[in-house]
Amino acid sequence: MPDPAHQLAVFLPGNRTDFRPGERLQVTVLWALERTPGPIEVRLFWMTRGKGTEDLQVVSTESIHAGAAAGEAACAFVLPAAPWSFSGRLISLVWAVEAVVPALDLAASCEFVMAPDGIEIHLESLAPRGGGAQP
Amino acid sequence: MSLRGPACRARDNPFAVHRVLRVRYAFDAAAWERLLARLADRGGRGAIVGPHGSGKTTLLEDLAGRLQARGQTVRWIRLNREERAIPPAFWRAARPGLGSADALFIDGAEQLTWLGWLRLRFVARRAGVCVITTHRPGRLPTLWTCTTSPAVLCGVAERLGVSLGPDLATTVFQRHGGNIREALRELYDCWSRAGTARTTSAAAEA
Repeated sequence: MPDPAHQLAVFLPGNRTDFRPGERLQVTVLWALERTPGPIEVRLFWMTRGKGTEDLQVVSTESIHAGAAAGEAACAFVLPAAPWSFSGRLISLVWAVEAVVPALDLAASCEFVMAPDGIEIHLESLAPRGGGAQP
Repeated sequence: MSLRGPACRARDNPFAVHRVLRVRYAFDAAAWERLLARLADRGGRGAIVGPHGSGKTTLLEDLAGRLQARGQTVRWIRLNREERAIPPAFWRAARPGLGSADALFIDGAEQLTWLGWLRLRFVARRAGVCVITTHRPGRLPTLWTCTTSPAVLCGVAERLGVSLGPDLATTVFQRHGGNIREALRELYDCWSRAGTARTTSAAAEA
């Protein structure tokens, strides 16, 4: 159960959730903790969600030096070319950034879409008429 | 089973794995106190017993969390039909000997041969706690027996934000012989085909 004394949050610019491959992703991390946390790790990753075992790939990691118990800091990632966010019936691929305070076993994350038009690809909309297997 | 409505995206499916894994064993504070007292009475040794998909692993993980909060170092061994031997890394880590601050948790202990079990018991003899999950009682005193029912399935679905009709719950429960895990996988499929339009008449169509 999370300790209410610790607060950690991750924000994307303008609370946007639609991004494109190659775009620069600015991440803001806010924290208010009981003590100076030491370094805060910020991870860019994708994960699968759905019926089967989840898969996850950390694409990039940045470290924020948190010199006080409360503060705000920013870092940036360049989004890769792939994989794109998609959803079918059995599996979705979701992108997210996560801030982790290892010393306090604390984490916060923010999900977003990464696709050519900034819109999640729906596999059903790609299926040919008459059916066909979808993941 | 045919229900109307747009298909549900995998990440929005209430029965998606990441949501199901957040549903913990349905124990209140009093039940936890009784379980921990029972464990202490049995010298820190016990078995969580139950059939496939009855919540044994969930309860074991929740128990581990409580012991960690009390300062125990929890060491895990997870066995299944594909991985039936204790990993060499465990034997190397345990060579200095386990102590009173160590809690050894073995999920799937029924996979061990009798010889493997004896060897493990010898290594774990000084551990403060040793709890296993198993399908049948016998290797350690039974700490808790996990049972399932359509009501349990309804309760899990409720915690996932889905209200199952009793008929549908009973039908799905019986189809999977009481295996809640498999029942939840079928409910995933139901939801993915038909989106958010649900009626209890689905039971009649099943």
